[in-house]
Amino acid sequence: MSESTSTNTPKPSSSVKLVLLGEAAVGKSSLVLRFVNNDFQENKEPTIGAAFLTQKCSLPTRTIKFEIWDTAGQERFASLAPMYYRNAQAALVVYDVTKPSSLTKAKHWVAELQRQASPGIVIALVGNKLDLTNDGNEASGEPQADGEQQPPAATADGDDAAGEPQEEQDATPGDARKVSTREASSYADEEGLLFFETSAKTGVNVVEVFTAIANAIPESSLKSGRGAGAGTGQTTLGGGRPAEDSRVNLGDRSTATAKEGCAC
Amino acid sequence: MMQWTSFVQKAQSLIDPANFTLPTLTSTDRNPSKASLFRQQFRLPDSQNPLQEIAAELILPIPHTSSSTSSGDQPRNLDRAGNRYAGRLHLSERFICFTTQPTSFVPSATHSVSTHWAGQTNGTGPFGNGFTLPLCCVRRVERLNSLSHVFSLALTTWNGALGKQQSPGFIPQRFTIQLVGSRQACERFCDGLKKGLRECMKEIESLRVVVNDCYSEYLLSGAKSKGQDGDNTEVRQPPDAGLGMIFRYPGDARKLRDRSKMRLWGEYFRENGRNATLIRQPTFHKLIRVGLPNRLRGEIWELSSGSLYLRLRSPNLYTETLSKFSGRESLAIDEIEKDLNRSLPEYAGFQSEEGIGRLRRVLTAYSWTNAEIGYCQAMNIVVAALLIYMSEAQAFFLLSVLCDRLLPGYYSTTMYGTLLDQKVFESLVEKTMPVLWDHLTKSDVQLSVVSLPWFLSLYINSMPLVFAFRVLDVFFLEGPKVLFQVGLAILRINGEELLDIQDDGSFISVLKSYFSRLDESAHPRSENPKLRAITRFQELMVVAFKEFSGITHQTITEQREKHKDAVLENIESFAKRTSIRNLGPDSKKLGMDDLGVIYDRFYEVLYEHQQRQRLLDEEKKRQQRKRVERTSILGPPVDREVGRVGLGPSPTHMDYDAFRDFLAATAKWAVGDTPGSSRKESNVEQSANSFRGFGKSLAWNNKSEPADHEFMQRLFRKWSTEPSEGLSLQNVVNGLARLKGPRDIMNNINYFFDLYDDNGNGTVDREGILRMSEALLFLSRRGFDGAITPSEPLEEVGERDRFEQDKLSTDERFLGSVSSFIRRCFEYADPSNPEGKATQERKDTDTEEATEKLDAFAIGDDDEEEDLIDIADEAKPEPSDSKKQNSDTQHNRGASEAANPALDPNNPLHITLPTFRMVILADELLEQFFDTFFPQSFRLSDQSLPAAKLTSLSSNLTTFSNINTPKPHTNAAAGATVAGASGGIVPPGKGLRGVLDNIVSDGIRMAAEVKKRMDEAQRELERNALSRPQEDDEEDDEEDYDPRSGTSAPPTIVGGISSWGAGAYGADPERRSVRDTDRDLLEGAEVVSIHKKEDTSLLDEKEEHQHAAEGSSSRQQGQSSSHSQNDGNVVSKVEFES
Ligand SMILES: Nc1nc2c(ncn2[C@@H]2O[C@H](COP(=O)(O)OP(=O)(O)OP(=O)(O)O)[C@@H](O)[C@H]2O)c(=O)[nH]1
Ligand SMILES: [Mg+2]
Repeated sequence: MSESTSTNTPKPSSSVKLVLLGEAAVGKSSLVLRFVNNDFQENKEPTIGAAFLTQKCSLPTRTIKFEIWDTAGQERFASLAPMYYRNAQAALVVYDVTKPSSLTKAKHWVAELQRQASPGIVIALVGNKLDLTNDGNEASGEPQADGEQQPPAATADGDDAAGEPQEEQDATPGDARKVSTREASSYADEEGLLFFETSAKTGVNVVEVFTAIANAIPESSLKSGRGAGAGTGQTTLGGGRPAEDSRVNLGDRSTATAKEGCAC
Repeated sequence: MMQWTSFVQKAQSLIDPANFTLPTLTSTDRNPSKASLFRQQFRLPDSQNPLQEIAAELILPIPHTSSSTSSGDQPRNLDRAGNRYAGRLHLSERFICFTTQPTSFVPSATHSVSTHWAGQTNGTGPFGNGFTLPLCCVRRVERLNSLSHVFSLALTTWNGALGKQQSPGFIPQRFTIQLVGSRQACERFCDGLKKGLRECMKEIESLRVVVNDCYSEYLLSGAKSKGQDGDNTEVRQPPDAGLGMIFRYPGDARKLRDRSKMRLWGEYFRENGRNATLIRQPTFHKLIRVGLPNRLRGEIWELSSGSLYLRLRSPNLYTETLSKFSGRESLAIDEIEKDLNRSLPEYAGFQSEEGIGRLRRVLTAYSWTNAEIGYCQAMNIVVAALLIYMSEAQAFFLLSVLCDRLLPGYYSTTMYGTLLDQKVFESLVEKTMPVLWDHLTKSDVQLSVVSLPWFLSLYINSMPLVFAFRVLDVFFLEGPKVLFQVGLAILRINGEELLDIQDDGSFISVLKSYFSRLDESAHPRSENPKLRAITRFQELMVVAFKEFSGITHQTITEQREKHKDAVLENIESFAKRTSIRNLGPDSKKLGMDDLGVIYDRFYEVLYEHQQRQRLLDEEKKRQQRKRVERTSILGPPVDREVGRVGLGPSPTHMDYDAFRDFLAATAKWAVGDTPGSSRKESNVEQSANSFRGFGKSLAWNNKSEPADHEFMQRLFRKWSTEPSEGLSLQNVVNGLARLKGPRDIMNNINYFFDLYDDNGNGTVDREGILRMSEALLFLSRRGFDGAITPSEPLEEVGERDRFEQDKLSTDERFLGSVSSFIRRCFEYADPSNPEGKATQERKDTDTEEATEKLDAFAIGDDDEEEDLIDIADEAKPEPSDSKKQNSDTQHNRGASEAANPALDPNNPLHITLPTFRMVILADELLEQFFDTFFPQSFRLSDQSLPAAKLTSLSSNLTTFSNINTPKPHTNAAAGATVAGASGGIVPPGKGLRGVLDNIVSDGIRMAAEVKKRMDEAQRELERNALSRPQEDDEEDDEEDYDPRSGTSAPPTIVGGISSWGAGAYGADPERRSVRDTDRDLLEGAEVVSIHKKEDTSLLDEKEEHQHAAEGSSSRQQGQSSSHSQNDGNVVSKVEFES
């Protein structure tokens, strides 16, 4: 993938376990696919149980390797979710901006995470399928769409993300939007969540979400990157060679390399 | 801030989980029933039961193909028998089965004998060698009398004879069975067989239909006609063997050696019969292990899983279901629709309308037949895979077998089975590969996260399709253990690499790369070409079935059993947490603990009711002596386990009866006064005790019957949003939140008023006022637990007696308060307007309706009262009559109106909320009642009623007679006093009969009591209306308020609660004096209690009548059961002086 902004001197690398939650077919897998592969598939198989992918994200001072757990959205899979969000440091709670019920479900997940997941988990609320709204159409020409992923510095202000993109725009008549930006963002504010509206289809804001999360993870909670070789950006399963390090994942590691990282 | 309402629905659907069944578990017995083991072994439908069995030897003829035969040669063939198998012959309603497995399902057989097949089966599968023959396939049975001491039967089947034409050289399938057993046993078996054969004859037509869908029929007939003329071209149309026939089967047919496999199967069929009449010999199992040929795959799956027998039973069910529900919508359909394009998209068939259409129809039809499962993601993938090899109908039935038997609970709404099997798998890994397990644990890799999709979609989207199908071939024959064996083998084979991984990512990649190279040589560097030729997949199969041959069905069953509770508890706590969190803003008025209690109690009650209903139904069926066959052959298995949230869909709404139980567990006043034994289902109760999960907490429920009072019905209606459905958890929570929320007396008063504002116009009429007062008495009849404290005790008493003293005054005074409540209501009521005539009429009908519906207590009418007393005096009514009697005492409105000018409907009146408030607030006790007692009487986490205390509740109904008395503690004394209390009906000490009669008469007395009380109240009202305003007394009370008394009530007297005290009224007209006393009491006159000595003196015979009349305050259904049990503390007497 595109060369990262990182220099050749390895930056400290840490891995972050991130879980995606949200109603079925809101586009969780598509977001991940966009982030990891910069690709989009119209007919994406439903996720059974969960899928695991990794992707690196290079920040000015360090590299974050996301270990992404993409979960199944069907209601009855909900009871499996604790298995996946266990120990997660970050969560993407996704809803579909054209489907109000999916925001409800998202709130439900936020509540679950706040109560049950690791304390201090960074949660981002993401309204997907922005391309189906008028806002999305305007935004669809943005450079993110073609995979030129921006250096994270560009979105480093993501910490006040709740107010960030398209916040002022509201649903206009005629588009498919059913959840107003204001409604969702004020909810995100209340709950202290990062907030974005994205399109996995066009790529709008996808990378920004992950970067904002990477920035929001407190330094202190970062663990060393484990198994640095395990995942290239390409899907989950390239023949990842496990690193030699036999320590348990809590140890600090400086050996991880960022060079194959797909920077964002 | 949140959209709570839709949350609620979500929550509902979450905790509303699906059908679940562990084939080996039943609710009453953790050991599976013999019948269910029997069905499992032979893959029989749920309708089948082991009727007879006998040791036998199966003697197969020399294969026809190996000797040139004519029908005349047959007997000789039999003589020169081929293979012989010793085993057992089993007979069910519609099947005769032979197996070499030495299992037995006779009642005397031990569990281990019945499950023997589940042990090491050496690749023969659970049903071993032998046959599973639908009786309709048997064409003829002959008794062979070759040797006199041998009992031999020759069976001729319809094998091959059902086709449209038969070739001239057709040889029927015929084999011999030698029964081994006493002559008598053999005869008995034959009789059973004869009967079965007769009954199954008519099914031959279904058999013909089903068999003609089987590719084997086509294969054999086609092969035959090849050598003959083309005159039977009609037969040539091959049956539907899946999408593969149109879109090609996955994999390279040549590489799969499909053609030679086909030939081998053809040969096997010719020698051993096909489809329904196939006989299993060792070759059968071997042929399956090497992989099925494409066109026969569906058929053999159908056969080895037993779904063929379901299809045989109702060949048209699939199409009927589709047409029955055509055009209907459902949530499942929406979900299915979402996934249709996302099912095995790599297979050409599922990029076409044809394939998508089939998938849609099968999933939809199944979602209708099993609404509890509906649709679960992953089913789309499994069904898509099935459809490549079988017709829609075949896939439909196979899916049913999958969901019900092979993958129990996997696709349920809680996915309980999936989670359980993951736990089982993890524990097997730990056991068989401890080093790897340690490593995974240390690396914080969660195995199930990886293995879950293996099980959930049967390896179909984990392995390349061709290999996944090979796994399925064995899976359908040998059952769920195969999934475990394969999973373990995968880990074992990759063990070394896996020991190097450090995290989930690398773990997954190792496995994915392994799966992608399953077709490569397992020993690429080996010198030995034979070894080199072994693929990784073959290696996998060998490791799975050889190295892990110790993993048997038994192992799995035991492990499931072991982990089940933990898994269920996890799911349940998740469901609970989720649904509580989603209960909406109102619920926030209650604490988390309270919500937890409500949740638990709600489901306990629901499940208990469900269970009771189920057992009742079963009992009814048993009584009808009809083994009812299920109308639909699909759907939840008969012996499935239910009754826990974690298991699957639960009832979501409680009806009024369940609500009563709920209230009884929540509020003391809702516990009835009737013996629990009045429940007809004593056997039900027994089993309900063993009912897992709730046994402990509901135990009390078997003893105390909830009350049934009009007030409770009002509450029920008030709380429900959809009365016809009953109360949902949300309703109950909202209802309780209103009452138990932040302390707010005005809110409580308004709420109570609303309950009686039948017309919703802010008024309550005369009838309503009376009902309100009834309710106040009803609610308070078990005392106040210190929630209400009158200003000052009337007498100074010693420290020790303090409590009793307070209680006495409280109860009495409350009675007074209620009576002045009525009085004041009427006093301050507004007359209803002149056009009230019409209104009144409407109200009358309203009331009448209500009265009909409600089992309320009566407002007296004199005549009836006299009758009742007569009855009571006779002391003859049957116990079962007591309730009826009670309802017979429904007040006669007309009569009482006539007797009481104040009730004259010609002077309609009503009170408004402000009036009501004023009246309540004017009275200290009523104020306290609404401020503290009423909300507090609903006990949630604050003070749930311990079972023991609850049980004794009913015995502790305080009447005025026992208020001031220490309770005797021996049962003997109880018996005596109970008898004594029966109003002279039965002399004390008359024993059981006496006690029984007492219970009955108690109920009657109570009814009389109530009426009388209301009567008195009315009378008093009349009087008061005419004469003196009487507030003074009460106001005095208020002025005399003694702050100490506020703290003096002991906090935990649950047992000794007093009630409003229906004591001391003469039921006997002769005891007018007592009534006068009563009247005075109602008028608010001071009540003087008599101290103990006098109490005892009052206990003697002169008080018998009084006893009779003394409503042990059980207003509804007579005295409680505990009366007969532990009633150590019942009746002693207090007399009131006017
Ligand atoms: N228009 C549009 N469609 C999208 C977008 N993201 C996803 N989709 C479509 O939405 C459907 C579902 O996408 P998935 O990514 O599979 O959804 P999911 O949340 O992973 O679904 P589950 O795995 O079932 O929970 C697919 O058909 C996608 O093509 C988007 O940004 N815009
Ligand atoms: Mg997905």
